[in-house]
Amino acid sequence: MLILTEGREGERYLLMGNAAIARGALEAGVSVATGYPGTPSSEIVDNLARVSKERNLYVEWSVNEKVAMEVAAAASFAGLRSLCAMKQNGINVGSDFLLHLAITGTRGGMVLVPCDDPGALSSANEGESRHFARMLEIPLLEPGDFQELKDMVKWAFELSEAIHNVVMVRSVTRLSHASGNVTFGELSTFDTQAHFEFSGAFLDSRQGPVLSLPVAYKHAQQQAKLQSAMGMFEESPFNTYSGPVNPELLIITSSVCHLYAKEAISLLELKDRVGLLKLGTTWPLPPRLMEQHLRSTEKILIVEEVIPFLEENVKILAGDLATQIGAKTFFGKNDGTLPRVGELNPDLLVNALTKILDISYDPVSQAYVNRAKELAFRGAPSRDLTFCSGCPHRASFWAIHNALEMDNRAGFVCGDIGCYSLAMFPCGYGTLKTLHAMGSGVGIASGFGKLNLFGMDQPVLAVSGDSTFFHAVLPALVNAVHNDSDIILVILDNSGTAMTGFQPHPGLPIDAAGNAAPSVDIPAVCEAIGASVRFSDPFDLEETQNILLDMLNEGKGVKVLVLRQICALSPERKAGRMYDMALDESLCLGENCGCNRLCTRVFKCPGLIWDKEKKVAKIDEVICTGCGVCASVCPSNAISKREAI
Amino acid sequence: MGKVPLVHDPYNMIITGVGGQGNVTASQVLGNMMSREDLYVTIGETFGASQRGGSVMSHLRVSSETSWSPQIPRGRAHMIMALEPIEALRVLVDYGSPETKVLCNSRPIYPVGVIAGDMEYPSQPDLRTYLEELTEAVWIVDATDAALRLGDPILGNIVMIGALERVGELPIRREDFKSVIAQILTADKIDMNLKAYDRGTELMRN
Amino acid sequence: MSRVYGANELVEDVQRRGICIGCGACVDLCPYFKNYRGKTALLFPCTLAEGSCHAYCPMAEVDLDELSLKMRHKPYDGSPLGPYMHILTSRAGKNMPQSPYQSGGTVSALITFALKEGVIDAAVLTGREGLVPSPKLVTEPEEVLKCAGSKFMASPTLAGLNQGAKKGFRRMGVVGTPCQALSVTQMRNNPMNKDDFVDPVELVVGLFCTWAVDTRGFLPLLSAYAEGTSIIGIDIPPPPSDIMVAHTAKTRFEIPLDMIRPLIPRACRICPDMTAEWADVSVGVLEGKPEWNTLIVRTEKGRQLVDAACKDDYLIKDDMPLENLQHLCLAATNKKRQALNQAKEDGLLNTGEAGNHAAFRIPEGVVKRILTQNPEEIC
Repeated sequence: MLILTEGREGERYLLMGNAAIARGALEAGVSVATGYPGTPSSEIVDNLARVSKERNLYVEWSVNEKVAMEVAAAASFAGLRSLCAMKQNGINVGSDFLLHLAITGTRGGMVLVPCDDPGALSSANEGESRHFARMLEIPLLEPGDFQELKDMVKWAFELSEAIHNVVMVRSVTRLSHASGNVTFGELSTFDTQAHFEFSGAFLDSRQGPVLSLPVAYKHAQQQAKLQSAMGMFEESPFNTYSGPVNPELLIITSSVCHLYAKEAISLLELKDRVGLLKLGTTWPLPPRLMEQHLRSTEKILIVEEVIPFLEENVKILAGDLATQIGAKTFFGKNDGTLPRVGELNPDLLVNALTKILDISYDPVSQAYVNRAKELAFRGAPSRDLTFCSGCPHRASFWAIHNALEMDNRAGFVCGDIGCYSLAMFPCGYGTLKTLHAMGSGVGIASGFGKLNLFGMDQPVLAVSGDSTFFHAVLPALVNAVHNDSDIILVILDNSGTAMTGFQPHPGLPIDAAGNAAPSVDIPAVCEAIGASVRFSDPFDLEETQNILLDMLNEGKGVKVLVLRQICALSPERKAGRMYDMALDESLCLGENCGCNRLCTRVFKCPGLIWDKEKKVAKIDEVICTGCGVCASVCPSNAISKREAI
Repeated sequence: MGKVPLVHDPYNMIITGVGGQGNVTASQVLGNMMSREDLYVTIGETFGASQRGGSVMSHLRVSSETSWSPQIPRGRAHMIMALEPIEALRVLVDYGSPETKVLCNSRPIYPVGVIAGDMEYPSQPDLRTYLEELTEAVWIVDATDAALRLGDPILGNIVMIGALERVGELPIRREDFKSVIAQILTADKIDMNLKAYDRGTELMRN
Repeated sequence: MSRVYGANELVEDVQRRGICIGCGACVDLCPYFKNYRGKTALLFPCTLAEGSCHAYCPMAEVDLDELSLKMRHKPYDGSPLGPYMHILTSRAGKNMPQSPYQSGGTVSALITFALKEGVIDAAVLTGREGLVPSPKLVTEPEEVLKCAGSKFMASPTLAGLNQGAKKGFRRMGVVGTPCQALSVTQMRNNPMNKDDFVDPVELVVGLFCTWAVDTRGFLPLLSAYAEGTSIIGIDIPPPPSDIMVAHTAKTRFEIPLDMIRPLIPRACRICPDMTAEWADVSVGVLEGKPEWNTLIVRTEKGRQLVDAACKDDYLIKDDMPLENLQHLCLAATNKKRQALNQAKEDGLLNTGEAGNHAAFRIPEGVVKRILTQNPEEIC
């Protein structure tokens, strides 16, 4: 049974946060959903894609978040309800469009759902989307639990249509990727024929052309819309208070942090002393509601992730109201009560409360904790991240790393975002020497490749995944070709957007809904741009290395090497192993000169383990996926491969 | 026909293992098994990059009163179900207490640091000693071996769920398991999963 | 006492101090050292305290006296031309094609003969990929000529020996420079004290060498004159000429030695061996007679091979004129002296502690003699 569509009104289910968001969109009668895969948001579009045929939706994995927003906006302009989901980075990528969309306004309800990653559990940053709402002057909603993820997304469409602008609903990892109980509402469909009306007057944003000009006029309209939303927020059921009328300490919080605060209050038994104001409407703050609560106490603790957005907005409001409500003492990030970086949890809240209220709390003795640490130090060796067994990236970076060492001119690789980002670690032989955003690998390489003008004589390489290629590499590659930058781009084509769950992209012949779709040929595009293109199978280590050495030493200009081999986690690869592997212990040189445990100490595929007693390597048949690469790595031919039946 | 009542409210369980072991599936199955009219379930997960060979944890909270945070507070885990043995020990540092109970799979997955020879992996007797010192009760079961004999190592997590029923602290029953998997699996897989569950309960009888 | 260390020390002692000659002794012993276009690189750190790589390297802790005692059963005396039985002149005989040879074709003749007669099961030679010298393991006598001709660039030829040993060849003939002959001698001495050690080398043919050039510096220079594969021969005419000459099929061009000298690796400047003293036979030019070679026969094995080759008309031999011999001796003495002075100055001779390992160890008395003797007197 597919709960997402078959669950009925009034029924209660255990649902992942992202599924709750998807359900909320379905209950609002969404017609179009777009996004770009990004942890922790990917399941929103994945879920909607799965039911797209059944619910008559159009669901698209767009090439990047900017285009995703544009596609969703088009649906809105044509009178349909649309949703656009992404991780926090996506708001940055699409912000230029969003800036203009916020001025032009929308028609059918459009809801933007960024899923932030405080603590960077699956990101290379812990940046925030909330500030964009304030900066771009659009309403911001923050669900505080799983029920609200559904209910607030649903309501966001209504809000969007009431004010004719896009609404941001911000989630976080600890809600999107967590699960909780959700009671369902009724599914609905929109029976609107899509039609883009533009025949009205120039200034008429509902019936005329969709333009941000004249800017001052439209900007004033945008601000009026925000004021209107603010008025609605005063009575919103998503702002809740629990606790005494005049609490000793008032906690103002939003998002999942309210669950941490609730837990901390319970653990410390402070229900009668501490009040908890959970805000669901965090931009703009409803001033009358805020005033009412600020009045009720002298001490206020503001709890949020990550940087003090809510804290500063509350303080500004409190400053404006100072003559009416008096001076207050604020606790939060700015005074160090809560850490300024990383995610929060119940224990950090407990620390804050014990400090402010001068109480003590020890769930476990320090002696226990110390002893546990000691035993764990001995008995729980840490787990470094690594590529999966059978991952083509391990083979690719083996060849790239070795080619660069043999070339011996301090050549380096500018990294990009995907599973292959792990190549900055020992699992990828530390090959990546820079790492920033999608497409930054080629962008930065394009810059390095011009520095021979200033005496730089190091070979410059960049890597890109197949999905990354379409997201942001294309313009950078054009830049490199047109500006005659000497770089080598290695495209790691594993036929999918692997890190986030193997979603499709324009290089593949299927779309988000699983239908056949025209694919865009990456090597042909590179050639059309003006780069020279070569190919290799990364599992053929020697061939790949030799081709790279040739490319490093012949001629100038932009060269592309496409390394094509499917991801080890893809359904295709999981369905059937390529090889059965065997290791002849009598041939294994092990720790001796001539090998020094190359496969387990350096190559480090988790499918190979070192037997300390016998002093030989062994194949772990549970982990090994049979890619066959280690047979080429072993210097004594102890590892053999045989085609699996 | 009574189900097992909650020994603690909220009852806090951590399911831990290595990325790729079916940690998330296990927590979802258990969560759904317990998601009854009068029980609130919250599950907190970390997946994504951590799945690439890293440690993973699911925090499972069950309560009759309200929804709790997706992160268990320090020192408050009542039960640790570990699909990989050293992860149980690792989790105890932050979330363990002398009252914690541990149900642990025996099969190691060696961290790359151990494979590379930079670190040592503890022997099973040593690990059991460490776990027993820090907790109230420890059960170690050969879940992966049982799963291998059934034909697929990934069934290890289901074997563990069957074993967990026998521990007797959580309101879970075989019927709950059966109805949950009927909803999420295709018909051809149900039989194998039930076998795995039963194997788990059998392992605890010894 | 010769000291053996590991790969990391090898990098510190030799590569970081700029005295790697790229001979290939450390390459393909294991997956960690590789050579590409003349440069040897360590791909990954090795954790072993002692390794064959350090043991074989001709520039790392080489105890010449100990080696001489073990392999030649006499102390290292620092004589200009090294130990020998005869010094002759020679050239390819009538059973060998008459061209193209660098000079007399003696090396090609000896190796072709040795392969044909089964004296060796494979020859470790130096060929070319484009212009880049590369090791070639040759088993067919007809293939030998393809590797004829001096490359002048330091070549990782010994990687071919290491590959051959792995493949199971047990009677290989190696043609190499003095540093390579020294390295092979160290290898044959079983420096790692392996119980199952088998010497895979039957014969070493050494080449006279005063200096070589670094491939990566030399190739762009050559390419400026002619496209790589079209160059068929390179030569340095004897003094007083100060040029290097290169031929293509159609043209001939000259490069002033002043442009070449900066490309000489530092290792060559501390190398005391001009005539490949550690080989079974050593071959070089014969001044004044470009179609003949100087041939130094050093061991019984070498003598047997030369005599058999002559008997079968693969080689022609003749007497070495005294004047040539004196010139040769003078040149060799000067090189020895200059090299040891340079090595002393650079702290590479007989030094000791960690972080300052020696390249060579020679008994102090011998060093003194080499540095103070009058070349006119001994030659």
